[in-house]
Amino acid sequence: MKNNFSVIIDGQEKTVTAEIIDKKIWFKLDAQTYSWDLIDLAEGNYQSNYKKTKSSSKSPDKILAPMPGKVIKIFVSENQTVSKGDTLLVMEAMKMEYTLKADIDSTVEKIFSKVGEQVTLGYLLIQLKNDKQG
Amino acid sequence: MKKIQRIAIANRGEVAVRIIRACEELGLETVLLHSDADMQSRAYRMATKKICIGAASGPAQSVNCYLNIEANINAALAAGADALHPGFGFLSENADFAEQCEKNGLVFIGPSADAIRKLGDKIFFKNLAKKAGLPLIPCYEGDDQSINVLLDEAEKIGLPVIVKAAAGGGGRGMKLIRQLSEAKDLIESAQREALSAFGSAKVFLEKYLERAKHIEFQIFGDSTGHVEHLFDRECSVQRRHQKIIEEATSPSLTKELRRKMGEIACTIASLGQYKNAGTVEFLLQDNQFYLLEVNTRLQVEHPVTEEVLGIDLVKMQILTAQGNFIFSPQDIRMPKGHAIECRVYAENPYQSGMPSTGKLGLVRWPEGPRRRFEYGFESEDTITSYYDPMIAKVIVWDENRNRAIDKMIRTLKDSVIFGVSTNIPYLIEILNHDEFRSAKMTTRFIETYFADGLKSKSDDEQVKKWAQLVNKKLKSTQGQSATQSADQPLLNSVVSPWASYWRGV
Repeated sequence: MKNNFSVIIDGQEKTVTAEIIDKKIWFKLDAQTYSWDLIDLAEGNYQSNYKKTKSSSKSPDKILAPMPGKVIKIFVSENQTVSKGDTLLVMEAMKMEYTLKADIDSTVEKIFSKVGEQVTLGYLLIQLKNDKQG
Repeated sequence: MKKIQRIAIANRGEVAVRIIRACEELGLETVLLHSDADMQSRAYRMATKKICIGAASGPAQSVNCYLNIEANINAALAAGADALHPGFGFLSENADFAEQCEKNGLVFIGPSADAIRKLGDKIFFKNLAKKAGLPLIPCYEGDDQSINVLLDEAEKIGLPVIVKAAAGGGGRGMKLIRQLSEAKDLIESAQREALSAFGSAKVFLEKYLERAKHIEFQIFGDSTGHVEHLFDRECSVQRRHQKIIEEATSPSLTKELRRKMGEIACTIASLGQYKNAGTVEFLLQDNQFYLLEVNTRLQVEHPVTEEVLGIDLVKMQILTAQGNFIFSPQDIRMPKGHAIECRVYAENPYQSGMPSTGKLGLVRWPEGPRRRFEYGFESEDTITSYYDPMIAKVIVWDENRNRAIDKMIRTLKDSVIFGVSTNIPYLIEILNHDEFRSAKMTTRFIETYFADGLKSKSDDEQVKKWAQLVNKKLKSTQGQSATQSADQPLLNSVVSPWASYWRGV
């Protein structure tokens, strides 16, 4: 099969199953499945895409949709102050609810979603303004 | 009773496939009643006829079409079906649906509307059990559903308390209250989930047992209404009250407990004049067992019972509905060996089980003796966010529990699913855990040891190097430019933190 072949890793021959799906390479090696963005493997693109985006996911003032799904409840309004741990919004996907909370004491700067709205993965739902940075 | 010739299926995914297979073996035609999001699915390709009964998204999404009684019945009649199988979830435990089917001349493959009302309504069931003197857990089951009453009752029962959908099952709409301060939020959230999953916001409260095992008995009422139990299953491995791994028979029951609980399961089913397949659920703690509820339908985990007994429950269901299945005193059913089922979910175990959606690439199930794969989606099909995240069930049988565990681990390791992340690494860790191996796990097992999913063992630079190597080799093997698409600019201008947050998936 075209998707099965062997590669040499650390001097050992290993059987790998691999496939490209939607700009990602998926492969199975030693009973583990991995995937990686192809763009990140392209020549001249040495900076790890993963590292770059990881830091942006850590900015606590941006509340992003952690999955595709539906916004079913918004607990805050614009200009409201919130404390760390406060519930901001509830999303539903695959019939399960996920609650998104504030990681910082802050003010709600802008709300980009409405109740009932279907949003995509990574969609910016709420922009907070960090109180300490004023 | 009229002869059934064409069965409508008011469900989707792997259970729809399961029902179609049983129908095919009985020489019956099938009609799949589906949403527009499920046209790329195995059941759709297999059914004799299919009728789209609604959209999964868009403005009409307010009522999920799989929960729409009228649409299901109209479509079944239009397609000339004479019976309907509801599968599990959705309308399978809805007494009004069963009643409407019968009124419209469709044989409902399941218990009667009356039996669903008696046993399926958890509150009615508890009253019935109470009268019969059967053991129950302290709870609130009242009609007054105002938030203040629910809060008072939770306090009376004593924390921890669990909130459940009155019409539900399968973990939907269930929440655990540990502190009074979070009770209000959790009860309201459970009410919303209950409404969206079952069409009713009614909930009830129950004392949460901290070290309990989940044991259930498969019961079956034949065409004459004679009820027998088909032994037990243990489903203690649950996350957020949703089962992940199930097995038959339970490794935790003594002969004496099995006999007592089996008798009670039959008693409660007989009280409800039960016909067809059902399950009586118990919690077992310190050798004390409590009746939990009756599920008036086929269970997701029915295959483990089938494997240890060598039976086909779906066929038995259809034959019973036709008036054609009667238990014979000559049939002595004794469970043999051990069966385990793992539910394969589309989720990322390295991100605390975040749902994963997308188009499936390669999917390979490693066939072998007594390995069984129940799946609803194949390569090129899309796992959407509209429904349940279960992609497949993997079931194995072996002569004893340890060997069955080993077989399951090997089977999962050899399975290939590309395109979405799956919980397979998570399942393997659980199966290998000492507490699971020694069968000591309780319903708090996952919460105790696997609350945050898994930590990735591989380092990203290493995986990237492998990816480069594999990509190069794939390119030369397939004789095409595999990286071609990577030379294009990144299409998603909004940088999503998840888009490339791929570790060992």
